[in-house]
Amino acid sequence: MREVAVILSAWTICLVYTVTYCYLYGYLSHEGTPESTGPDIGTLVGPLSSFNRDPGSLTTPLGLAIPDWIFYGVVLPWALCILFSFWFCLFYFKEDDLGSEGTLGGGKVPDDVH
Amino acid sequence: MTSTNPITIATFLVYIAGVFVLAALSHRVLVKKEFLSEYFLGSRGLLSWSLAFGFAATATSGGSFIGFPSLIYSYGWVLAFWISSYLIYPLCAMGVLGKRLNQVARKSGAITIPDVLRDRFESPALGLFTTCTILLFTTCNLVAQFKAGALIVEETFNLPESWGYTVGLLVFAVVVIVYTAYGGFRAVVWTDVMQGVVMGVGVVFLLPVIVSQVGGLDQVVERLKAQPPTLVTSIPGDNNDLAFILRRDSYESVPIIGLQYVLSETALVDPRVTLIEDTAGQGWVTRVELATNEASQVLTTAREVREAVMSDAVISDLLRVELAYENDGSKEVAPFATVHFVRGEERLFGPGRRPDGLPFHPLGLAVSFFIMWAITAMGQPGMMVRLMAFKDSKTLKRAMLIVTGYFALIYIPLVFIFTAARILLPYIPPESADKAMVLVATRIVGNLGPWHAVLAAVFVAAPFAAVMSTVDSFLLLISSSIVRDIYQRSINPKVTEKVARWMSYITTVIVGVIVTLLATRTIDFLQYIVVFTSSGFACTFLAPTFLGIYWKDMTREGALASAVGGLGVILLFFLPSVLGGSRVNLLGLHPVIWGLAASFFLGVFVSRFTGPSPGHLVRRYFYES
Repeated sequence: MREVAVILSAWTICLVYTVTYCYLYGYLSHEGTPESTGPDIGTLVGPLSSFNRDPGSLTTPLGLAIPDWIFYGVVLPWALCILFSFWFCLFYFKEDDLGSEGTLGGGKVPDDVH
Repeated sequence: MTSTNPITIATFLVYIAGVFVLAALSHRVLVKKEFLSEYFLGSRGLLSWSLAFGFAATATSGGSFIGFPSLIYSYGWVLAFWISSYLIYPLCAMGVLGKRLNQVARKSGAITIPDVLRDRFESPALGLFTTCTILLFTTCNLVAQFKAGALIVEETFNLPESWGYTVGLLVFAVVVIVYTAYGGFRAVVWTDVMQGVVMGVGVVFLLPVIVSQVGGLDQVVERLKAQPPTLVTSIPGDNNDLAFILRRDSYESVPIIGLQYVLSETALVDPRVTLIEDTAGQGWVTRVELATNEASQVLTTAREVREAVMSDAVISDLLRVELAYENDGSKEVAPFATVHFVRGEERLFGPGRRPDGLPFHPLGLAVSFFIMWAITAMGQPGMMVRLMAFKDSKTLKRAMLIVTGYFALIYIPLVFIFTAARILLPYIPPESADKAMVLVATRIVGNLGPWHAVLAAVFVAAPFAAVMSTVDSFLLLISSSIVRDIYQRSINPKVTEKVARWMSYITTVIVGVIVTLLATRTIDFLQYIVVFTSSGFACTFLAPTFLGIYWKDMTREGALASAVGGLGVILLFFLPSVLGGSRVNLLGLHPVIWGLAASFFLGVFVSRFTGPSPGHLVRRYFYES
């Protein structure tokens, strides 16, 4: 269960960072529409209209022809996630025994089991 | 029209032959082992590469190589954000359930997901319900995938439009049904490995070719920015009426009652509509431009619109076109429909714009999709069954690493390739947007020279492989549901191996034929069907499975309520779209979020009231080794 908790924590961090960054720094307009009513992050970061992008402000980090907001909001965290996956798989993940086919016996049953 | 290079066709045929060879080899293994376990689960002996590529290839469906590129083509870089939860997808989809699900399946001897749920909760009702859900959603998804396969064959062999789709469908169906039915799970896994390699190689080689054709990395952004406004396409049921009416064969008979234009504040001239044919002769394209020399006018029929003055002017001031038309067969006048246009530079930013002017990817949907891709992946039966099939924990560990790297290799380059493809093929018609991948391969790459023709075949094979690898898994999923979950476990537990063998072959073929017949009607917007079926699966399977294998107090009533409630919510929210409206995005969130929330809530709530869980089940699945 600890492995599951670590994975879901990593997923939550990615969700918060990527969605917040891309929404704030990658959208031309943050005007509300009937379809765009979601979590009200405007209360946390100030007027959302101040984050509206001017098309002329677009840069492409490292000359890769990838828009800056995608580079920092998606590509960079993707690279970090690959590193995290290596750490998780090589150093954290336990190689538990999976048991054999159709065997149902033997283990100790604690007293508090129904 | 540009034709496909013969070398491309020949190479593609070699690939298909390779698939049949693998199926034959797999069949030789099949006849030596216990049939049902081998046919549907490969005798639980998957190794790292086969698990990794089997998992990745199943996840990377026709949606990824057909529907996803068409959305990128329409909306641009915001699709990288749309797909961004794939950065953590492999860990979530394989790491959260993998080890534990495999343990539980081994203990019960289960070979399908309904098997696992039925045994874990000793509930035949739950087993049958989940089996029926698999039949429902898998059939929907298969029809969409068959369409994708047919389109690829049609385009690759450059078949005439009148019968090309039907022949493409038959060719695809015969290939995939024969090798799946003949080879079973092991054939599916082996071909998935080959197909996974083909997909990866295809994308990796396509990237530099496209960059070079655009004129270098520095040109990709600049040329995209400079594109004139174009109609957004490839969107279902979103009042894309202009495109719809003008694309119909009987467009002459559709009376347009009125047509008007809305310009930006700085516009100095009145607009006129110009419809041009694309360079590949693919059909009529609604590029709308402004004429600078005449006043706007009301055109009375679609033909008049189409035949409006051809203009060389390219404008940046046209914001949208509004039109009213008479509905077919009635005198009712439809209200003015608004069709918006997207400027080139908008494709470099979010949120994207739909034809009705609403944002394509607003914040609520951004949150929803991030949750959806990574979390719903855990609840897909086609992928869960892979997690029941690996050999040991080390296999799972290595497979997670491989898939993590593999997805990074595929998805960001795909966004790059198809934003650039809009520069090279600027006028792919809306109804052909799903062919973007194949058109790029055959019309651009395939005609650059002999070696490029071979590469083009690999690029064409990539989406074909993606579709096949999903279809073969789903075909087995359906046949296992019928043979194992319905017939063997509910009707005739003493079925002989010989009968089970023939039932499996025949069921796979029959299901394939039925889906082929359903797919003869062309279906639009593959990616949306994929999203719908994935959502339905996740809301039915994820909560009962997750809670069932990790929480000893989960009861059979709780599991049933969780599965039924989750499915009910997702169907309820999608119902309006089936009836011609739009799906319900309550609070701006995708229905899958509400379906998952309802499913987990009901699972916990009902279990609390119906517990405790039977002691022998708790002992068997949580304490005995």
